[in-house]
Amino acid sequence: MVGRSLRQIVWARLRRDRLAMVCLFVLIAYYLIGIFGPILGPSLGLDPYAFDRDSISNQGGRPVLPNGGISGEHPLGVEWGTGRDLLSQLLWGLRISLVVATTATLLTVTIGVVIGIVAGYAGGWVDLLIGRFMDLVLAFPFILIVLALSNVLTDRIIAFGVPPGTPSRIVYLILVISVFGWPYLARIVRGQVISLREREFVEAAVAMGSSRRRILFTEILPNLWAPIIVYTTLLLPAYVGFEAALSFLGVGVIPPDTTFGAMLANSVNYFVQVPIYLFIPGTILAILVVSFNLLGDALRDALDPRVTR
Amino acid sequence: MLRTDAWLRRALAIGVSFGLIVAACGGTETTPSPTAATTPGPDDTPAPTEEAKTGGTIYMLTQAEEFDDIDPQRAYTGEDLAFFGATIMRSLTSYIYTDDDAVANTLQPDLATDTGQANDEATEWSFTLRDGLTWEDGSELVCEDVKYGVSRTYANDIIVNGPTYAIQYIDIPDNPVTDEADPNSVFLKAYYGPYDGTGQELFDEAVSCDGKTITFKLNQPVADFNYTVTLGFSPVPDPAIHPDLEDTGEQYTLRPWSNGPYKIDEYTQGNGGHLTLIRNEAWDPASDPVRKAYPDKWQVDFGIDAKVMDQRIIASEGDDAFAIQYGSVQPENLSTVFADPETPNPDFATRATSDFDPFARYYWIDTNKISNVKHRQAMAVALDRDAIRANLGGDYAGALGDGVIKPNLGDQYAPTGMWTDLFGQAIPDTGDPEFAKQLIADSGEPMPALTWDYPQTAVRDQEAAIVVASLGLAGITVTANPIPPGQYYGIVFDDEAAHEFGWAGWGPDWPNASTVIPPLFTDKGGWNLSRVHDEDFVDAVQEAIAELDHDAQAEMWHELNTLAMERVYVIPTTFGLSQTFGGTKVQPLYQWAPYGSWPYAEMYVTP
Repeated sequence: MVGRSLRQIVWARLRRDRLAMVCLFVLIAYYLIGIFGPILGPSLGLDPYAFDRDSISNQGGRPVLPNGGISGEHPLGVEWGTGRDLLSQLLWGLRISLVVATTATLLTVTIGVVIGIVAGYAGGWVDLLIGRFMDLVLAFPFILIVLALSNVLTDRIIAFGVPPGTPSRIVYLILVISVFGWPYLARIVRGQVISLREREFVEAAVAMGSSRRRILFTEILPNLWAPIIVYTTLLLPAYVGFEAALSFLGVGVIPPDTTFGAMLANSVNYFVQVPIYLFIPGTILAILVVSFNLLGDALRDALDPRVTR
Repeated sequence: MLRTDAWLRRALAIGVSFGLIVAACGGTETTPSPTAATTPGPDDTPAPTEEAKTGGTIYMLTQAEEFDDIDPQRAYTGEDLAFFGATIMRSLTSYIYTDDDAVANTLQPDLATDTGQANDEATEWSFTLRDGLTWEDGSELVCEDVKYGVSRTYANDIIVNGPTYAIQYIDIPDNPVTDEADPNSVFLKAYYGPYDGTGQELFDEAVSCDGKTITFKLNQPVADFNYTVTLGFSPVPDPAIHPDLEDTGEQYTLRPWSNGPYKIDEYTQGNGGHLTLIRNEAWDPASDPVRKAYPDKWQVDFGIDAKVMDQRIIASEGDDAFAIQYGSVQPENLSTVFADPETPNPDFATRATSDFDPFARYYWIDTNKISNVKHRQAMAVALDRDAIRANLGGDYAGALGDGVIKPNLGDQYAPTGMWTDLFGQAIPDTGDPEFAKQLIADSGEPMPALTWDYPQTAVRDQEAAIVVASLGLAGITVTANPIPPGQYYGIVFDDEAAHEFGWAGWGPDWPNASTVIPPLFTDKGGWNLSRVHDEDFVDAVQEAIAELDHDAQAEMWHELNTLAMERVYVIPTTFGLSQTFGGTKVQPLYQWAPYGSWPYAEMYVTP
């Protein structure tokens, strides 16, 4: 009889969950579109920076066709005032949103796991110090600080050699989101580590004279993958929404680039006249976030069979 | 002479999608105003009798949370000057109230008995005060009060952000203290103002009172000095004569003393705050030919969201029927209020206006950073001005500009030919990337990468996209740099912080290009964002200021305007049009040409 690894067991359980598979498929599609859309788009005639003057009125800039100018040429309509194609903007914006959310998630998880393990295993004054530091970070009025520091820190980032404009803003968004996001995960990891470090296999490793590093990352870390993976799938959609919120508040990318948040912010101005401006990016964002959340739930169920619905 | 943020924040708030800049005057119009036929004037409907017009309250709704300045020597925002000029702050001369733009831009005597007497060289001007002028406590307004008011301009450590024409024109030597370590070096002239008092004898020599007649000695011929006195020359009670009416210096801007038909009753700043003006019983209508003073009360409500404001005025219910908008109609509501840029919809026929505002909008180019004129020409040629205009509202946004002097300045304007032949060939409105590439090739130098500064709003984010994309077609790399609107001018006037080019707008202070070309392209007047220091240009400007013959001077301004465009100190974008409206029970609603404002002095409520 062949034993099955945890990974195989989880995958088998996940495959039986039809909803989870749909979500997974949707997410893969989003990522593929995010990666290849802007590469293949131009050959399909999509250009987020091209102005279609004929599609908007010369009196006020309103799209000539109803529903925000939806037509064969512009399947999702055009931007008020400039006539830029909204489908192209969404494609290009999706890439930026995904880059920010994915990178920030990876960074948050890395920082959170490392600090959480250290705090939980070391205990004593190290734990105390890290614990208080986490409290401090969590106590910061996050949104205010992000808004207030955007110009200063973006200048700093540019001084480190990042090109000004959108690249430096993307780096800024990733940094601030991660820097303020890690303590949540670190706390979860710390709790897990505290219970693990008293277990027999850890004591055995200690008795055999394993190095501390080996104990931390070879003995303990593998037992943490389940909560980390679940937390990651929940963190990613939160960060997609977060990036949108920050762009909405004006610390996002620099024109002519755009993201979901920037598009939503812009659509609010014309909500009464053209409600569809709000619904298209809103729906696409909602599908992304819901897919991630459902997949995260399914993963948790698959990893922990004791929990039944 | 730079203006700092406070009033700019406010100016930007008023401008909404366009942004306003400076106290401004319109001017005689040579082109027919698009609304000349449709703007409801007082003559359109049978005017009620004088008694029927009297009484009631007019409400003003504004996004701003306070006025920048109400101090007579500090107020410098066009709409504010018009409002306070019509209510509490009289000046020696003022403009005529009518919706005929050409007439409105001519002077009438106000505190003075005529529009000023000049000597032959126009280096000495005198004005004689009327009888019966009073302050709000009933004491007489005397010549010394006008003199004292002007003297406050020189205290430029306390009296900041205001117009500085007094300092520029009145014959007082420069401050001998130039060592920056000395605190007295902040003063621009050898007279330090009435609070410090140093150099008082120099001021008394230059500005003198003889009975009711005040005489100004100038350091150069100023043919239009009687226009100058509409800005920053309003009286303030001389403490030596009016011990009860205190000049509180820096705080005076919160509670100035009135000499007009109203006085300040209450002033609370911030969101939800308001300013109320009630009748000044000491004011004698016989002494004032300018102000009709119909309503009993004015109330300015601060901190009202632009979208909410539009909806309230559209509905026009309750007190909102007596409300006027301190700003402009939001772009998305234009089609509700207007059938087209010349005609309001039937529901708004008597209460919406669309008219030239005083502002020419342009992009300044730092001529130190982009010193190669071919490069600047390439930028101008590549820009898609048609897309910029469409984004600002197309026909609602006004015409494409060809210089910094606007056609509603009358004879001051002449076409520069910038887009037809100035660069050797016609430039289409959508830009000509190929010609731009050729200009860059001709320049002999590679085009540097550029950054475009702009005060961030949703509309200008899209404008930034247009700038980046259209210059990009000519191979010019541009990065957009959004700046919070309140900080914008503070940043772009800083040589270190400003980038290669950026957004701006300018309205003349009175209908003469002497308030356009010198401030924009020389260091006089402090709006030289292009950092122009070309000696031949500065000399020519000096010559034009001193030219007493009006027609010859206008001709010189035409040439300088054309020369500035040929050298592309700025890229003109639009000659702005603006739309605004009021409630159903307040009249007359038209844009008063001198400041592009409501005609406050003749407004009344209808039953």
